[in-house]
Amino acid sequence: MTADVSLQGIEHRFAGFTALHRVDLKIAAGEFVVLLGPSGCGKTTLLSIIGGFLTPSEGQVLIGARDMTQVPPKDRPTTTMFQDYALFPHMSLRDNVGFGLRMRGAGRAVRNDKADAMLEMVGLAAQAGRRPHELSGGQRQRVALARALAVEPDVLLLDEPLGALDLKLRRQMQDELKAIQRRVGTAFVHVTHDQEEAMAIADRIVVMNQGRVEQAGSPEDVYLRPATLFSAGFMGEMNRIPATPDGDGVTTPLGHLPLPPQRGTLCLRPENVGLRGDLRLGPARMIEASFFGAHHRCHFAPLAAPDMILTANLPQGAVPERGAEVQLFATDPVILSETAQ
Amino acid sequence: MRVLAWAYLLAMFGFILLPVVVLIVFSFQDSRLPVPPFDGPTLRWYAEIIADRALMEALMNSLLVALISSAVALVLGFLAASGLARVLLPGSALIRGVLIAPMTVSYLIIALGLLQMFNAVGLRPSLVATGIGHVVINLPLCFAIIYASMGEHQKNAMRAARDLGAAEWQVLWHVSAPMLLPSLAAAFFLAFTFSWDEFIIAFLLTRFDVTLPVEIWSMLRSGLSPATNAVGSIVFLVSVAIVLVLELTLFRRRGA
Repeated sequence: MTADVSLQGIEHRFAGFTALHRVDLKIAAGEFVVLLGPSGCGKTTLLSIIGGFLTPSEGQVLIGARDMTQVPPKDRPTTTMFQDYALFPHMSLRDNVGFGLRMRGAGRAVRNDKADAMLEMVGLAAQAGRRPHELSGGQRQRVALARALAVEPDVLLLDEPLGALDLKLRRQMQDELKAIQRRVGTAFVHVTHDQEEAMAIADRIVVMNQGRVEQAGSPEDVYLRPATLFSAGFMGEMNRIPATPDGDGVTTPLGHLPLPPQRGTLCLRPENVGLRGDLRLGPARMIEASFFGAHHRCHFAPLAAPDMILTANLPQGAVPERGAEVQLFATDPVILSETAQ
Repeated sequence: MRVLAWAYLLAMFGFILLPVVVLIVFSFQDSRLPVPPFDGPTLRWYAEIIADRALMEALMNSLLVALISSAVALVLGFLAASGLARVLLPGSALIRGVLIAPMTVSYLIIALGLLQMFNAVGLRPSLVATGIGHVVINLPLCFAIIYASMGEHQKNAMRAARDLGAAEWQVLWHVSAPMLLPSLAAAFFLAFTFSWDEFIIAFLLTRFDVTLPVEIWSMLRSGLSPATNAVGSIVFLVSVAIVLVLELTLFRRRGA
């Protein structure tokens, strides 16, 4: 009940502006893919093209090896969970969830059974006779999910569905989405601009910027081994240190470091900078520290480059005095060239 | 200050309603002319008009024309609004403008235009011709009311229905129309009252079978009589009833 999606050379132009530049992407059957990027990066356009709401200017959309490029949404094996849920306000939850089956000609008994089963799955079986306006935001979300999954699509498209929820509910829904995706085994394509959400739910993250795919990989890959400066910066905070090749290492404002010789930017995540590690960064002076609960966020000025500020997240209780001089170390260094693709 | 405000309110209501009140009062006039002094109440004029075959036929004609022309205007307006809400054409704004434009043209001009056009295509003045005229004036109204009530929410629900496999007519029937029910009803009843009251188009486009306003006009030509007042009161009563129904059902619910 699930098929792979293949996007080949998708280019999309709106009046006077190119939203997507020859995007190629494969989504495996049953995979949970997150399209991640800032607003305007083309992720929602790409989702609309998979769902059939937009026809790409160029390129092909294959779903289960069938060319779907010109097929309208109603005839595609995809369904969408919309940002504002788009529930039908005049129908009960049961009728909302059964709508897709009704359109496929299923009888009342069949579609009610299926709708009740889907509502059961999202924990709303008891409210099946209610109207959408009687529900909370999180509950509407679940109804929208049940409605989209009731027709057993090959691919479920989710358009920033968690954007309107508060943080706590959002975390809870992320867990539920992932659990439900595992259960039904349908491929999910989820759009968001929140990198934490992406990492929490994705099998694979596709980082997009200005109509191009910057990187596609597992959350660990994208976070720890970013392929581009954009993808490194978008996934989380980062110290950036310019580096130039020098003999068997690189020269940086901090001095000579034993890293593969390469011109570019040395990227260090704040949690990978600290008082011990594999890579010695040299002496630095502690300028400021603030307590964030899980860690202390500290600013250091390296003695070799006093104008530079390095941010380090140090474990609870392991914080030097303000003004103290310490030896800084780093782990997982990555050097990215400006033009890295 | 407060007294002044109340006095103003009363004066305003007097200005608006006095003509109607006078009309209704003298429909009960117990003499041959509906002019002061008031000679005591009687229902004989009502009895007379109810017994008047031509008048009752005109009343039925009016109801029929109003019902059918409003229904047609409603369906066409709904389809136009749904279509324009669905796609963003380069000329969308122009199309909307052209659709609404007839609202700004006087009924007399529309009637003259229709009269000449019907002559050209050989359609005789009749209730059908009048009905078409009423569709022409009420379609822009229905379109404007329905289009204005279609928000993002509505459009997204239509998208969702298509996404779930609904054909275009199913989207309209199962999603759009039920969601727009209050505006559809408002548009229908407004169109109905406009058609019910309309005189100029009906006057120019009917001949043997006429609508009620035209029948009243011919009654007036034979001079004033409390009978005309009685007919006028009934026409007014129907309009008021429709407005009340609207007010009590649709607008109250929306306000809540």
